[in-house]
Amino acid sequence: MSGRWLAGKVAAAILTLVFVVIFNFFLFRVMGDPTTQLARLPRATPEEITKLQAQYGLDKPLVGQFTDNVADTAKLDLGISQRSRRPVWDEIKDALPWTLLLVGTGTLIATLLGSWMGVIAATRRGQKSDDALLGFSLFTYASPEYWIGIILILVFAVWVPIFPSGLQMTPGVDFSSFLAEAADVAKHLVLPATAMTLMLLGQYFLIMRSSMVDVLTEDFITVKRATGMRWDRVVRRHAVPNALLPLVTLSAIQFGAVVGGAITIETIFSWPGLGELTFQAINDKDYPVLQGTFLIFSFGVILANLAADILYFYLDPRVQTK
Amino acid sequence: MTAKNPARLLIDTWRGRFGLTILAVALFVAVFGTAIAPYPPEASSLDVLQPPSFNHWLGTTESGADVFSQLLVGTRVSMLVGFAAAIISAVLGSAVGIASGYFGGWTDRILDALENWFLVIPTLPLMIVLARLLDPTLTVLIAVIGLTSWAGTGRIVRAQVLTLRERAFVERARALGAGDTYIIRTHILPNTLPLIFANTVLIIAVAILSEAALSFLGLGDPTRISWGTMLENAFNSGAPSAGAWWYVVPPGLAITVLVLGVSLLGFLYEEYINPRLREDG
Amino acid sequence: MRLKRVGTLAGIVLAAIAMLCAMAGPATAAGESGKDVLRIGWAQDPQTLNPFVGLDEEDYTVWAINWDLLVNFNPVDLSPAPGIAKSWEVSDDRKTVTFTLDPEKKWSDGVPVTSKDVKWTLENLGEEGELFTSYTNNVTSITTPDKETVVIKTSKPDARIIGGLLIYILPEHIWGEVPLEELTSTYQPDLPLVGTGPFVVTKFDRGRIIEMDQNPEFAGDKPKFDQIQFIKYGNQDAVERALQLDEIDVVPEVQATTFERLGTEADIATVKSPSPAFTQLAFNVCPESECPDADVNPAIQDKVVRQAIGYAVDRERINEIANRGTSFIGHGLLPSFYKAFYEQPGEDYAFDPEKANQILDDAGYTREGDGVRSKDGNELSFNLYVRSESPSNIQAAKLVAEMAKEVGIEFKVEVISVDKLTELTIRQKDGKPAPAFDSFIWGWGGDAYDPSFLLSLMTTGEIGGSSDSFYSNPEYDKLYQEQTGVFDVAQRKEIIGKMIDLLQEDLPYLVLSEDPNLQAYRTDRLGDVKVTCPEGDGDVFCEQAGYAPLLTLEPASGSSSNDGGGGSGVVIAVIALVVIGGIALFVIRSRRRRENEPVELEEEE
Repeated sequence: MSGRWLAGKVAAAILTLVFVVIFNFFLFRVMGDPTTQLARLPRATPEEITKLQAQYGLDKPLVGQFTDNVADTAKLDLGISQRSRRPVWDEIKDALPWTLLLVGTGTLIATLLGSWMGVIAATRRGQKSDDALLGFSLFTYASPEYWIGIILILVFAVWVPIFPSGLQMTPGVDFSSFLAEAADVAKHLVLPATAMTLMLLGQYFLIMRSSMVDVLTEDFITVKRATGMRWDRVVRRHAVPNALLPLVTLSAIQFGAVVGGAITIETIFSWPGLGELTFQAINDKDYPVLQGTFLIFSFGVILANLAADILYFYLDPRVQTK
Repeated sequence: MTAKNPARLLIDTWRGRFGLTILAVALFVAVFGTAIAPYPPEASSLDVLQPPSFNHWLGTTESGADVFSQLLVGTRVSMLVGFAAAIISAVLGSAVGIASGYFGGWTDRILDALENWFLVIPTLPLMIVLARLLDPTLTVLIAVIGLTSWAGTGRIVRAQVLTLRERAFVERARALGAGDTYIIRTHILPNTLPLIFANTVLIIAVAILSEAALSFLGLGDPTRISWGTMLENAFNSGAPSAGAWWYVVPPGLAITVLVLGVSLLGFLYEEYINPRLREDG
Repeated sequence: MRLKRVGTLAGIVLAAIAMLCAMAGPATAAGESGKDVLRIGWAQDPQTLNPFVGLDEEDYTVWAINWDLLVNFNPVDLSPAPGIAKSWEVSDDRKTVTFTLDPEKKWSDGVPVTSKDVKWTLENLGEEGELFTSYTNNVTSITTPDKETVVIKTSKPDARIIGGLLIYILPEHIWGEVPLEELTSTYQPDLPLVGTGPFVVTKFDRGRIIEMDQNPEFAGDKPKFDQIQFIKYGNQDAVERALQLDEIDVVPEVQATTFERLGTEADIATVKSPSPAFTQLAFNVCPESECPDADVNPAIQDKVVRQAIGYAVDRERINEIANRGTSFIGHGLLPSFYKAFYEQPGEDYAFDPEKANQILDDAGYTREGDGVRSKDGNELSFNLYVRSESPSNIQAAKLVAEMAKEVGIEFKVEVISVDKLTELTIRQKDGKPAPAFDSFIWGWGGDAYDPSFLLSLMTTGEIGGSSDSFYSNPEYDKLYQEQTGVFDVAQRKEIIGKMIDLLQEDLPYLVLSEDPNLQAYRTDRLGDVKVTCPEGDGDVFCEQAGYAPLLTLEPASGSSSNDGGGGSGVVIAVIALVVIGGIALFVIRSRRRRENEPVELEEEE
């Protein structure tokens, strides 16, 4: 039975992805004609424009363009960047690890810190520490992540210059070893990762806290308590694991927001990830790149959702017993 | 558990008081901002990036304009875009959700697939692309944000409508020969409105943040001042490097506070209609 | 997930980070390895090194250092100087120019430079390179009687062959091996980028850094710097911050908004110089015969109205407010940068709103009180389009509207994207141009010495091409053709003067300001900078017009090397220790608390 359910979920995911590809195509081709940008060139003649149009396959009828696009996408041929004349896939490949590093670090720390804070707040509900944590989390939840990033730059890169204010590495420097290079990257990672963590922290904290509060009021907790188990044991062994479940789906749901945050944070810190690639492509009206990053982002979100569904299925004891 | 009167909730809880105050202040400034601002917000002068002083309570910008005045005037854009986009999102979301949940069948499948797509696509990139392809005006911004945020409402409404559809009073109405429009208008809609409303309030917060993000990235209306464009200008003109905290902190703080206020009200209202969410009682 | 374990885990992770950072220590910065590096920072880097497809300004900067032109620019006054060609001779009918190359000149890979390279480049790059096609449009033949001679024949005398052939000469033995199809699409040249300039590209890390090392075969003086680094930052602000933090030495493009402040920083000097670029208020003057379907208010086609606008607009005030006082006032189509050919026009439209009012009154444009003027039922109300990408243009537009209002002319400022504006200007109907605007604000940039490109904007021949105000004046066209064929500078200047007078009379463009070249550099890194290109009024390293200053720029004496990261590593370690300490404390406290509680019945899990 679970096999069929799994297959169904995967099929749905693939279907959604196909839908994404279709929409992607129409969004970019129909809404924006890349050749107007070329017409801007003072010395571009109509012949040259026609030639470029042919090069990008823009002179074919729409249906032809569409089938070509789908076929290419399946082969991972996402076109050539209009700006750099390199394959879009190469641009994405170069940028992806940096985004993963930033987003991964931020999510990891936000999850750990957020859940830890959430547990504390839930067990101390109504007390000052709860209020303080609540206030802090609500603040970071409501604040724009790029604003936090700018303030971090202001405080830690300008006033007290201990961290670099941008880029992922010190430019123009030869590193003596891989470790030295990794350390340089880590140093550059601190501020952007902090901004990303603070952006995500609030949600994790709030969800964990309310989840814990719910779990703590449930019958089985009261039972365990009544049997004389130490309170913190009850919390640790029984409450927390059950409260963690919503966090799993949260990570998936959050992915869209994470992507958005990655764009703004990477832009401020000149972090060379997919977010910065997207932003530059938007400014350059580099549609092939935009299409590519859109695809990757959507793919990531679909994957995350699927993973969360599967994980939740295996983790939630109540679902399993159905 | 008795549901408290919403008015009492607003006054009794600190969240309600805080949220209400913020909203009231924001509304006031949004309407009267241009009148009470000490300087015309775009008036450039030669006092570039000056720290707060008696003349300029929050200092000056990179073109010598008064930060405080810009802050006041910018409230209007945030409020306008926030509310307008949220309303569009609500209307669109409810329409789709009701149609989808009530009529079922192919309507449901198609609309649901559409909804899925909008839920899956990361919203900021989609908004960026749409805003980029069109002209930079407030109307475009409102439309773009509204068009990308409706899916969540749609989902919730659809679920609600599905349960309502099977309820006794709806069956009875249908048995009596009532048409779809009538049923939707008199039975479905009133019962989903509280849900829509609660969700919309939270969308207002999201819309405000979205407008700020889009403006910050340079996609806002360049002829209007908003908190997002203030942050954009501050960042691009080197305010952080110049240590001009008076230019960097206030706009973001304003956004945070407004979003916080609206969100708290939204959470409060959610709890009101869904007693299970409450922690007291 | 146990609380204690979470804390300990976090602590371990932070400690690891801290130790890594502390171990980073002094990364080998350029100075320490003994190399003198000139570090240039920018926010936009070239996307390709291939001149066949390159489109950006930044590309030129690199090309101008890596390669020579056939005829270079003299850094003193930007007049023609030897490049690949050692000398040249113009025939009596001025339709043939014979260039003699330097037989000793070699490419950086040791292969001698020959006339074959020149011919191949002019014929291929001059035909296919999107940025280079206009320079050779009068050329009828290029012959190479021997390895050191190139003979260029033109259909009519063309002075640009000497002063304006802005085509970088490429090594035929490398580029000639690549099929043209590939050259014009995806070709990325191998590194080191073989050239004849003082430095050649040895590392091209797109989006990060471009390194240029000394060319061992360079024929001129040996440069004092061993290496040039072009370092890419995310945005302008980051670049300027990097300059202040001593991460780079030169910023070739400083924003108008930060220019003044940067100049007040210790150890930083700013340089402002004229450039061949300007910002203009353009009017739609397309005659009905050429543009029968144009969407325009016919009043703008009345010369008097345009002249009145010229008098009504205070260009100095626009410069002060929109450009923070960093621009130069505009005086006609040809910027003062073109020292050899520029002269301030007789009719310069000094700010005189009274005169504006007067000529409008005289022409029969009446107004009620302070309202908008009109004549025969047609109001002087025009749309003024401006690019959303340029805040200073937007501000200028608003100021123009404000000032024009004083004399009864209404401008409705509309902010649109650059694509939309392009569409409005290139709009066509039934094969004829049908521009849809009354006025707009935009800018142009010309070539380094030869003014032909900018002058061509106003020729009838460019309607349907670059002309965006659709000016058509047969007398102007005649003078334009004449000046392209005049090699004598003084003679040419006179003809150009007449052309400018025509333009100032008809005013298809009101040139608001000449864009400045704003640069900044660290005085503790660069010793004794003399601005050149042209001398005394130019920029720090003659960006895009040559490389001569790079031969004389030298590191300041006693400049210390860049400290990579040792200091910050220590600070991070300290912070991490504090955090770990705090967590440890918490853990210990909770354990102690537990130990103090009475032991309760252990429940079996």
